[in-house]
Amino acid sequence: MASGRDVRDMLGLSVGGDAQKTAVQKRPKTTAPTRRIQGVAREVAALYGERPPPVAIFEEKKAYRAKRQSTGPAKRWVQQSFTNQARIDDLMLKHWRRKPAPQSAITNGEDSAMEDTENMEPFIESNAEFLKYNVEPEMPTFTDEEYDAHLRSSDWSREETDYLFQLVAAFSYRWAVIWDRYDYQPSANSSLAVQEPSINGDSSQALAALPFAPSKTRTLEDLKARFYEISAKLMKLHIPEVQMDADQYAKYEMLAKFDPALERTRKTLASALMNRNMDEVKEEEFLLAELQRINMAANRLDAEREELRSRLEAPVPNQQVAAGLTAFTSSQALQALFQQLFQQDRSKKRASGGAPGRLSLAGSDILATPTSAQHAQIAANRRQSMATLPPPTPIRNLSPQEEIRYNVSTHDRLTSGVTFGSDKLLKMRQAKSNVQTQKIAAALQQLGISDLISIPTARVADVFEGLIGKVGKLLDVRKVREKEEGECRVLESMKARLNGGGGADGAQVDGAADGEKLMKDEIRDSQEDVEDEDEDEDDAAREDDADAYGEPDDVDNDVDADAEGDDEDEDAEGEEDSRAQSVRQPSESMSTRHISAGHKRSASVLSQASTKSSKRVRK
Amino acid sequence: MNIPNSSTAPNTNEYAGDEVSAIVLDPGYNTTRAGFAGEDVPKSVCPSFYGQTDSDSGPQYLFGENAIHTPTARLGIKNPWGSDGIVEDWETATKIWEYAITSRLTGTKPTDPAKNGLNDANGDSMEVDIEALENQEKPLEDSPLLMTEPGWNTVKAREKYLEIAMEEWGTPAYYLHKTGTLAAFASGKASGIIIDVGASHTSVTPVLDGMVLRKGVQKSPLAGNFVSNQIRLMFKQSSPEIPLTPHFMVNSKTQVDAGAPSQASMKVFDIPPLDSFRRHEEERVLTEFKESVVEVWPGPGRFSNGTNEEIAKAQPGRPFEMPDGWNQVFGSERFRVAEGLFDPAAALHDADNPIPKADHCIPRLVQQAVSHVDVDARPMLLQNIVVTGGSTLLYKFNDRLNHEINTIYPSTRNKLIAPGPVVERKYAAWIGGSILASLGSFHQLWISKKEYEEHGANIVEKRCR
Repeated sequence: MASGRDVRDMLGLSVGGDAQKTAVQKRPKTTAPTRRIQGVAREVAALYGERPPPVAIFEEKKAYRAKRQSTGPAKRWVQQSFTNQARIDDLMLKHWRRKPAPQSAITNGEDSAMEDTENMEPFIESNAEFLKYNVEPEMPTFTDEEYDAHLRSSDWSREETDYLFQLVAAFSYRWAVIWDRYDYQPSANSSLAVQEPSINGDSSQALAALPFAPSKTRTLEDLKARFYEISAKLMKLHIPEVQMDADQYAKYEMLAKFDPALERTRKTLASALMNRNMDEVKEEEFLLAELQRINMAANRLDAEREELRSRLEAPVPNQQVAAGLTAFTSSQALQALFQQLFQQDRSKKRASGGAPGRLSLAGSDILATPTSAQHAQIAANRRQSMATLPPPTPIRNLSPQEEIRYNVSTHDRLTSGVTFGSDKLLKMRQAKSNVQTQKIAAALQQLGISDLISIPTARVADVFEGLIGKVGKLLDVRKVREKEEGECRVLESMKARLNGGGGADGAQVDGAADGEKLMKDEIRDSQEDVEDEDEDEDDAAREDDADAYGEPDDVDNDVDADAEGDDEDEDAEGEEDSRAQSVRQPSESMSTRHISAGHKRSASVLSQASTKSSKRVRK
Repeated sequence: MNIPNSSTAPNTNEYAGDEVSAIVLDPGYNTTRAGFAGEDVPKSVCPSFYGQTDSDSGPQYLFGENAIHTPTARLGIKNPWGSDGIVEDWETATKIWEYAITSRLTGTKPTDPAKNGLNDANGDSMEVDIEALENQEKPLEDSPLLMTEPGWNTVKAREKYLEIAMEEWGTPAYYLHKTGTLAAFASGKASGIIIDVGASHTSVTPVLDGMVLRKGVQKSPLAGNFVSNQIRLMFKQSSPEIPLTPHFMVNSKTQVDAGAPSQASMKVFDIPPLDSFRRHEEERVLTEFKESVVEVWPGPGRFSNGTNEEIAKAQPGRPFEMPDGWNQVFGSERFRVAEGLFDPAAALHDADNPIPKADHCIPRLVQQAVSHVDVDARPMLLQNIVVTGGSTLLYKFNDRLNHEINTIYPSTRNKLIAPGPVVERKYAAWIGGSILASLGSFHQLWISKKEYEEHGANIVEKRCR
């Protein structure tokens, strides 16, 4: 591309003059980026040179308080009378308020001020600002009839009940205060009332004013019990139980179920707890501290064990240690390598002198676990804990619960090395062929299992192993089915051809009779499989079956080859894969091996067993 | 930019305040505190003592700091408070309180022009409404009044308070509140146990949600005056006896060695003041002694326990010089004089001053107070133990109190709340009253003059619970 300079050159403009200009322009540019140091005289700043000091030196600007801005002439204040609406009487108090802006601003001098005050005099502010703080407690209310009908008590007179309600309202349900101030003196009225019924002989009134002990000492629980009892009864009266909503019912239950005796016991306990002496308190503190210490130690031990187990959980070792660095891509492989080197190192050390080397460990260093000592040693190596550890604890037999708690698992045989659970899981996903791997992946995806299993514990791995086994079986069955279907299609087309072609070679038919018979059996077997799947197909297949007699052998072979053509590779791989699997997983059921070994030879063997699984696949 | 200044209106939402220039009066045995609500310090702190000189024309009363400390002929010093912590002499108490209010707060009213004799030439002016004039003469004519009372005040005394305020001072609105609650308010607490160690009485008041639990209120005479008395006993019992000469008797003093008799020239009075004056002046010296020498044994354990006394002896003493020049360094004695507050058995005693009751010591008072409170509220109260009163300023008082309370209640979380500034400690009740009376939501609680006229003095029982 042509630069500006080139263009100038082409146009014959002077280059030199321009260059000079740029040089002139550049000078201020170089000075511009150097930041000016604030608050330092320019001469002083120049002494710093090109680099300013790392610590910014700057003079704090003198921050005077902002100047008070004149907001006009001094504001006038008045003593404003006001009434409080929470009061029943109209007590008038005065507070200082800014005088509202005068209507006529252009009056000046004392006269106007005087006028203003005169004008303001009659105005009385009504102060509702603090009304919101004037809250009355909600109280249950009852009428005389209700009281007579439901709320009578042999222990409480009407007067005393009223007194109690009055106190509850006055002290807003502060029971401690209510109890403190509760000082019911039966008034002269009530004593009259006591005498009256005896004269009248009215039984109901006599009940209302039983001769109570003049001043009974009521406990807080007595007061509460009476109040709650009345509240509950009133609540039930006003709202029948069935119509109460959840909150109301909960409240009702709480009120109705109040048990003064229980409350009293609780309080005795509470006071006993409070009145413990110093020794008891110290003992409790000590015990609590001890408990906490034990808990913490247990937690730590659990965590350590967990960690150890997770390391000892032996994964399937990589058997095919291929040559080259690709073998060491996984941590497991690296671990194996390390192990190998370590062993070598140790043997060398042992040969040379027997003194413990950098990485060598004494046998007693190992925290003994139910698993083999070797693995514990590996774990110990990894931690490099070479300090003296306690001698190995004897192996204990753990109960199943304990095994679960400590995450202990026993293995008949453990392979050496440390693997990650995730590696193990990943390995299971992989089949021999890419196609098979993809199929497994697809099946897993269909089942909603993510690629990465977040916590690959041993148990998860076990379950996953089972799952993979089943997926393998499933895929095998599916393959068989496809093969069978292919056969069916071929036979159908053959039948169509036969029907269309008519004249077939008799000798050939005879020669093929034996083989045909075999084929027929096979097909019939496979038919059962297909039958379940599709009715139409079933019908067609029966026709197929019936007309299959005159089929030439070579054609059959051809068809067979055609039908299997696609699957051939996969099958071969699948078989190998399953064999490999069976090697890896000796626990795998015989049927799997049976299927994977047998399906190639004859689908009919499978057909019975596979019916269910094929159905599941369809679902 | 609007910087708040004296001319900007306060933001009411900030503190829910609505000041009505109420006056808060907090009378105590030693001083009477008065000031405007909303301020942080009482503007007027007057001694509750008054001077009385009996002349032919009847008794003359002297009020105020200056008057009662001047050695006037035949001057006696008296106190209107009774020994039970309730006002005894209402007449002079009213005068003292009025003095506290008018001397610094409202000022004396100028005589009404109708009465001052300047307008006498015009006979018609006498027709003015006499009653209105009388009202105007009253000192509290336009200020609501909040008064404080001790927790054990009787109904009669409370009614008397109201009557004085309404009838004699003409206040438009009145309220009476217990000192305990107000002291808790001053510390920002609505609930707690208030330990108030004043001059004449120590009181322990349990307060729940701003209400005094009456059953739990405890009082005892082991307070500041008791400590003063202990010091007197200590002076008397030491050998040689320590002379206690108040300032007013000394003309000039010369320096002497520690423990040596003083060589001061004394003043000579033609007609000396009465003995009560001298005693009152001696109290001033003793107060000084309490402030500068006396120390409370900080604990743990009592002063008499084990080797505590030895430890105290090992500590450096404190020197004190009397007004007449006599001086000495006080060692472990200075612990002993205050020990009686916590351990009455260890108090100094003689024939006239018996050993105080064991129940009267502060830890026992707290224990008693707490035991009269509902169990559920106890732990919460013990978390808010407010310490107030001038005598709690004794050195290491709070340390000891803390130890004592933790010994009684080892299983709860006990917290002492003792404001640091001296003013807040001494005048906590007044400050609480100042806060309360300046709140907007408090206005509905005032007993108005109208209500008083309707219901009589009994309304104070109903309103000021």
